[in-house]
Amino acid sequence: MSADISRTCKLPVGPVHVALEEPMYFRVDIDGETVRGVDINAGHVHRGIEYLCTKRTVYQNVVLTERICSLCSNSHPETFCMAAEQIARLEIPERAAYLRVISAEVKRIASHLFNVGILAHLTGYDTLFMHAMQVREIVQDLKETVFGNRMDLAALCIGGVRYDLDAETTAYLTAALDKLAPEAAELAKTFRNNGSILRRTKGVGVLTREEGLACGVVGPVARASGIDYDVRVVAPYAAYDRLNVPVPVLPDGDVWSRAMIRLTEVGQAIQLIRDCLRDLPEGPTHLHDRPDIPEGRAVAKCEAPRGELIYFLKTSGADEPERVRWRVPSFMNWDALRFMFRGAKLADIAIIVNSIDPCVSCTER
Amino acid sequence: MTRLPQDLDARLGAAAPSGIEYSSTATQHGVVSAWCGLAKSEELVPVAKVLLELGARLSMLSARQLPAPEQEEEEEEEAAEGEAQAAKPEKVPPKTFGGTPLDGTSYEIDYHFDIGGDTLTVIAYVPAGGSIASLTQYFRPADWPEREIMEMYSIAIPDHPDPRRLFIDPAIDTAVLERLIPYSVLVNASSTKALWDKVLSMKGGAS
Repeated sequence: MSADISRTCKLPVGPVHVALEEPMYFRVDIDGETVRGVDINAGHVHRGIEYLCTKRTVYQNVVLTERICSLCSNSHPETFCMAAEQIARLEIPERAAYLRVISAEVKRIASHLFNVGILAHLTGYDTLFMHAMQVREIVQDLKETVFGNRMDLAALCIGGVRYDLDAETTAYLTAALDKLAPEAAELAKTFRNNGSILRRTKGVGVLTREEGLACGVVGPVARASGIDYDVRVVAPYAAYDRLNVPVPVLPDGDVWSRAMIRLTEVGQAIQLIRDCLRDLPEGPTHLHDRPDIPEGRAVAKCEAPRGELIYFLKTSGADEPERVRWRVPSFMNWDALRFMFRGAKLADIAIIVNSIDPCVSCTER
Repeated sequence: MTRLPQDLDARLGAAAPSGIEYSSTATQHGVVSAWCGLAKSEELVPVAKVLLELGARLSMLSARQLPAPEQEEEEEEEAAEGEAQAAKPEKVPPKTFGGTPLDGTSYEIDYHFDIGGDTLTVIAYVPAGGSIASLTQYFRPADWPEREIMEMYSIAIPDHPDPRRLFIDPAIDTAVLERLIPYSVLVNASSTKALWDKVLSMKGGAS
């Protein structure tokens, strides 16, 4: 009789859950407090944006792709523009290449600080959460001052960028980075040393290097599992081939390693922006208005805050593209949760999900 | 400075004896995009095995319905009219190099592989109502994209290990990217028809 009774029971987590900013439904098999398996049910924010893209012109799509996701609202149009520029064989001006790096790295800092802030909240260390969000506010103010909005929207266009830095905004940017750098370093120190953080994150949600390679994970999730892969280095774009881009790699593959990779990258992004400001050449910020995009096909990729973002664009020479397809970093990283959840405790589910920095809007489009 | 092997096209050609269509381009930064069209979609698996040995990572899958070449058909019609319909030429739709008809119903499935930063796109053509082999058993990252392709288009992937819907609810008919779904249906707002009837009848009464 007892053999017929299943030892595990199913626990629904989501679609609306305190640890998730966006809806995703996990059906978790638990045995006591231990996770034995997980089934992921997606589709709650599927909006059919890929279909919409084929009904709008290539230029309208720059605006549409900005709205796929909030935290990658710079990476989507950047990669889309790169694909269109490849098809039209356009070379963006030097100054635009550096300005693209600046906008991407500002976005990376804001995205990573948000993620580690939420991690602090999930470990119950709310003071640190509020502190991290306050530090992030420096970047938000910076975006509002330089780009005119707190989302870094409308910074890019096909053929270059739509914003420029003058003496005043450069001075503000430099001062903001000077204020941010010590705060970010202090935050990293806390995550490195604080007992509460370490106890909840060390050895939790482990993804080994082999599992990571099998899942095809990208970005900080890959680098925290010892996979040395960063699009900025292996497939350089914009001005990254002229900049020193260090790639932090950690071997353990746990939640703590993923947070530390992000915090390290915040410091490196600050340095990259400073390098760009130092080397920023004079000249135009974009090519002539609205170059024609002929028939063609292209694949472009960039390193979004969460990892490799890849776009496929097929044009027919008409105003509307024939097909726009993209795959966001989160799309690959969901699968890795099955490994990370293995043997995890019920209380760690939220922390593990947050550690892949999931983006449901990006994943489901 | 491509990271793709020098003899990649030869290796792919050996795995796909029916023929491949290989080309490559590079960006100003030296990042290579190579394209490999397959004459026969049945040769996808042997090609994928070659790439597995090379340590490639399956980065993305894209599918699309190939458009019918409208312009050429119009020209044909004009020519036929010019000949006073003496001999009606049979309309034979053009084909891909492998023989898949390009009549607006066939599909192209692109498998984008990453090899050390460079991209190789393997292209398989599937006619309407056709099927393609699953790569999930060789490349784990093919799982979700293949499920997505099955719900977006009328493409069957019979040997997929988990062929459930991914994003679209099972209650919705398949091949959503091939149909126009009115917004009112999408948001389940068709119940407002009564309101529109009222609006239209009022408009009719006024005029």
